[in-house]
Amino acid sequence: MDKRLAKNYALLGKQTTDGDGLTACLRSFFKNSTMQIILFAIIMSVVGALSQEKILPYSWLSAFASTFSYAIAAVGFCLLMGYSGLASLGTGGFIGIGTYSVHYIMSEAGLPFGIALITAIAVAVLIGVIVGFISLRIEGIYLVILTLGLSEILRNLYMVLEDRITISTNPNLFGIEITRQMSLYVVVVVLAVIMIITGNIINSPTGRAMLAMKNSTAAAQAMGISLMKYRLMAFIICTVYASISGTMLIIVVRGAMASQGTGFYALITSLNILAAVIIGGYKSIWGAVFGSFIMYGMQTVVLNNIKFLAENPVIITFVSGILVIIVVMFYPGGLAQLVLELRGKARKLRIKMKEARYGKDLG
Amino acid sequence: MAYFLNTLFGSIVPMCITALVTMAITLIFKTSYTTNFAQGVISAFGAYVVASSLNKLGLSIWISLPIGMFAAMLIAVAVDVLIFRNGRYVNALGKQIITMGLISLVVGVIPLIFGLSDPAFKSFVNGNITFTLSDGSVASVTKNSLVCLALAVVVIAAIFILLRFSKWGLSVRATASNEYVAGMMGINTHVVTAVSWGLAGALGALAATINASSGNIISGYFMTNYQVYAFLAGILGGFSTFYGPVIAALMIPLANNLVQYIVNVLGVPELTGWSMVIVYAVALVIIFFKPQGIFGKKIARKV
Repeated sequence: MDKRLAKNYALLGKQTTDGDGLTACLRSFFKNSTMQIILFAIIMSVVGALSQEKILPYSWLSAFASTFSYAIAAVGFCLLMGYSGLASLGTGGFIGIGTYSVHYIMSEAGLPFGIALITAIAVAVLIGVIVGFISLRIEGIYLVILTLGLSEILRNLYMVLEDRITISTNPNLFGIEITRQMSLYVVVVVLAVIMIITGNIINSPTGRAMLAMKNSTAAAQAMGISLMKYRLMAFIICTVYASISGTMLIIVVRGAMASQGTGFYALITSLNILAAVIIGGYKSIWGAVFGSFIMYGMQTVVLNNIKFLAENPVIITFVSGILVIIVVMFYPGGLAQLVLELRGKARKLRIKMKEARYGKDLG
Repeated sequence: MAYFLNTLFGSIVPMCITALVTMAITLIFKTSYTTNFAQGVISAFGAYVVASSLNKLGLSIWISLPIGMFAAMLIAVAVDVLIFRNGRYVNALGKQIITMGLISLVVGVIPLIFGLSDPAFKSFVNGNITFTLSDGSVASVTKNSLVCLALAVVVIAAIFILLRFSKWGLSVRATASNEYVAGMMGINTHVVTAVSWGLAGALGALAATINASSGNIISGYFMTNYQVYAFLAGILGGFSTFYGPVIAALMIPLANNLVQYIVNVLGVPELTGWSMVIVYAVALVIIFFKPQGIFGKKIARKV
């Protein structure tokens, strides 16, 4: 079956690249994953500009900004779960590292935003190393609960340090003041950079080593892959991304409360990020971004236009729960797998139509 | 001295709740090999049922409690029969994620059924018992917390006795040690698992009712803290036995209150907020050095 499919793809490739030079050139340009991400960033910036001019609904601006902030954490989680086979429920706590760095370094100490970002990354690396070392001793379900415990420690710490934080001054990045309206552009740029970096990590020897570790730790070790190095690396990347996501979130939302049961640092954030990655397809960066859109952006952008759902906002929670369960039970690859399958089917259909019109290619 | 006694009396309710939730989570962990993240919201659902039977039907709390426990039991059994029985080949992480999906599901369903307002709740009994100690200071304990203690002790003792001496307990222990072999030996593992889920749901509803009766406001997430304690207790005590997690569950809230007590006695009340941070950190350090838990047995793994 797969062989036949592969043959069909090859057939298709031969037919299409034979077209004139410009189309082929454009096609390869859009097939480049970096270009796709840059294109996505440009489109989202245009959408942002349009909604700032109120051509598109104004509420989209903050909805997309917070969605993409969470998407940064989701991309890191995708790398951790889809490629290293580790799971964590610490995302909520790790997001707090970013928000509190911005609060203490930028608002309290009055230093520029860049330094707050660097601090956030540095602290996140430290926490990532701690979790990574724990993951060497404790595995599977136990590790998940332990990261949950760590996240609770962090949340309690935040409650003791300062329960409610608000950012009143606009952050200053390279001499430009970032107002709330501008935050979407910053978030999109950061997300695009993160996605490009992650895409490269996945396709590099590091990503391959992580994948080997996921499939069998014993086999990976036998092939000379250091578990310690790659587990630490996976957790550091995940924590750093979550922390960056926190700095972005606080720029977008400008305030947070630690003791709130549904706040940024609570268990529910970690679960939502996890659900986003699962719904989107746990091995796909685009899936992670789309999944966070379903969890965080769809409410404002799509569902509030439908009258029934706008009046009953709880339905989306309900539906996302059912979606997660259905995806895990019947469709483990998530929406990314669905897209791939649909694309394969479309190609097959196109080939069939061509065969019907011109006859079978016997070459 | 009075302050110390009050600290102890104040820990009674959290200890009962944590022990009940931990028992429920351990039961599910042993029979379904998953940590049930939805335990908290299923318990909360039970508390909502109790509250609406109190407020809308005007029944007494002693009749409402079994109704709530039954409702939570039905939900838990439905989860097992509809989802886990069909998802037998989902891996361990997948099962956990399903229970996480259940959280959103139940939290979404609760406002649809019970409305958006926080329901009012009643205590089992009102009033305090006060002691005057020899040095003239006064310690007091609410009657409600004593009733809760009695309920929790009776229920947990009953479950331990059943586990130890009944035929059902034997089949649960067999299923826990190896589901496949237990099935081959003629144990109906489907029924054992479903009963464990139902029991866990009922225990959760009892815990949630105790929590609500001692004055906490019911919401979808109001059991989440205790659920987190319970998971931690499960690992701290070691999931390989039934009693380990329950003992650890008694220790965590007590340790939390004792740290607050010590901090206050030492004259640094600013540190009171840090008590949970300290308890969690100590627990994590213990787990780091004893990954199989304090009471756990080391399980050898085949390569």
